[in-house]
Amino acid sequence: MARELSKIINNWVPKESKVIDFGCGDGSLLQKLIQTKNVLGYGVEINNSKIEECIAKGVPVIKQDIDKGINEFESSNFDLSIMARSIQCLKSPNLALERMLNLSKRCVVTLPNLGYWRCRLNLASGKMPVTPELPSSWYETKNIHLCTIKDFEQLCIDQNIKIKDKVFLNSNGDSGILASINPNLFAIEGVYLLEK
Amino acid sequence: MKSITKLINFSEGIALESGRRLDSFDLMVETYGELNESKTNAILLCHAFSGDHHAAGKNEDQSIGWWDQIVGPSKAIDTDEYYVVCCNNIGGCSGSSGPTSINPNTKKAYGSDFPIVSVSDWVNTQKMLMNKLNIPHWHFVAGGSLGGMQALQWSIAYPDRIKKAGIFAAAAKSSTQNIAMNEVARESIRKDKNFHNGNYIEQNVIPKNGIKTARMLGHITYLSEKHMDLRFGRKFQDDASKIDKEVDFEVENYLQYKGEKFSESFDANSYIIMTKAMDGYDAAGKKDSLDEALKEIKAELLIVGFYSDWLYPPERGKEIQIAAINNNIKSSYMVLDGEHGHDSFLFHSEQYSKIIKKFIQS
Repeated sequence: MARELSKIINNWVPKESKVIDFGCGDGSLLQKLIQTKNVLGYGVEINNSKIEECIAKGVPVIKQDIDKGINEFESSNFDLSIMARSIQCLKSPNLALERMLNLSKRCVVTLPNLGYWRCRLNLASGKMPVTPELPSSWYETKNIHLCTIKDFEQLCIDQNIKIKDKVFLNSNGDSGILASINPNLFAIEGVYLLEK
Repeated sequence: MKSITKLINFSEGIALESGRRLDSFDLMVETYGELNESKTNAILLCHAFSGDHHAAGKNEDQSIGWWDQIVGPSKAIDTDEYYVVCCNNIGGCSGSSGPTSINPNTKKAYGSDFPIVSVSDWVNTQKMLMNKLNIPHWHFVAGGSLGGMQALQWSIAYPDRIKKAGIFAAAAKSSTQNIAMNEVARESIRKDKNFHNGNYIEQNVIPKNGIKTARMLGHITYLSEKHMDLRFGRKFQDDASKIDKEVDFEVENYLQYKGEKFSESFDANSYIIMTKAMDGYDAAGKKDSLDEALKEIKAELLIVGFYSDWLYPPERGKEIQIAAINNNIKSSYMVLDGEHGHDSFLFHSEQYSKIIKKFIQS
């Protein structure tokens, strides 16, 4: 995970909070949060080798397909749920958002921006975007629900979800000026802190 | 691998959950490796229904331990690094006090008079063993199936004496279907004409047919449909190696063979006692709330289920995981394919062994 991204998320995570990270990968974000914020963290991951890496790091992890539902964690009183770069891979991103906000007061969501100028250029040339951030061809991508920054913020409005904070990252992974002036065109990634 | 097998007597006896008492009892114990100076490297293995103290390596009879694929030098549970302890549980028939032991009060075999024991009773005897071996805490307590229930019970009953628990192919309680299967097995034993209400030792007979049928049924529940299909298919048994002339298919012959072998070594009363303990276990306890029951746990948990296991399917492990999260317990839940159905916990696979090893080390 890009350093800037984990720094932002780090800022939003309260000390000693209870955190669940959906699509936690090798557990490095949680490991960092455990070390720096002393959180009680759980990862959710579907890939066995990634799970193995979490266990090696001492990061508690749960094998699960997020698409099959996350309702069972609703009784666990999480302070924060995180879904970094995964929501666009889900069958129902809107339902996932609802559920994350049912099981924790706040959630952090990061997503790639299909409105990024490079993507638009690709489309203008008549082809599906293939960029460094979205490197897979249309037939093999896991990103089945890509959207633009505008689309996502509209969804938040439609679902009565409050955007408490947001940061836009440029292609260097920094929160650059252009990306913050016109994120829909210049940001490659949106990072959101959401609340119901 | 340094391995020691010995019988340890506990003359102080134990008060059992059922209210009855054993005034004195024995545990047959096997240990591997050595306890380090700081006494921080002890691991307890809890055996499943028909297991015993012999978990790893070859014993005098050249028989290989029940968890030899997982336990040994450089294996997932590394006997070069850890001091590994395994005991036969009371009520069993492999050396520890059980229905075939002599009742010191009557000087006769207990037979059907051996008291009903529970998972908690086993954990309590293992704790007494721990004290006798001068082990301050277990670094890891692990087991599969009924053994996994003991690992869970350890973390509930003695939170200060256990650092990590491995709960594999197990559940916080037996399902209705588990109990139903066990009852069919018990019925076949009880209705064997040689059972004599459990006092067959006095009659100098054993209810061999009953035990055999029970084990045949058990075996079907331990394997997955796919695994049975792959292993036996609809192949016919060749005449020369047929155990019984009634046998047609290979799978029949296999079950006949396994049942026959088991009935020669396993005690019928033990079969009943062990399955009753399995059926009776409910980690949720008297309050009937798993969330409540797990409150005091301090150990980190590793829960592993197998997709091919329909006897204790992965969802049962997930229930423990959710209750653990609700109680802020550091706990991981993994599901592996496992080719061997419920028995998968016994077998090495690269991922299974790695996860166990890394969990112990982390």
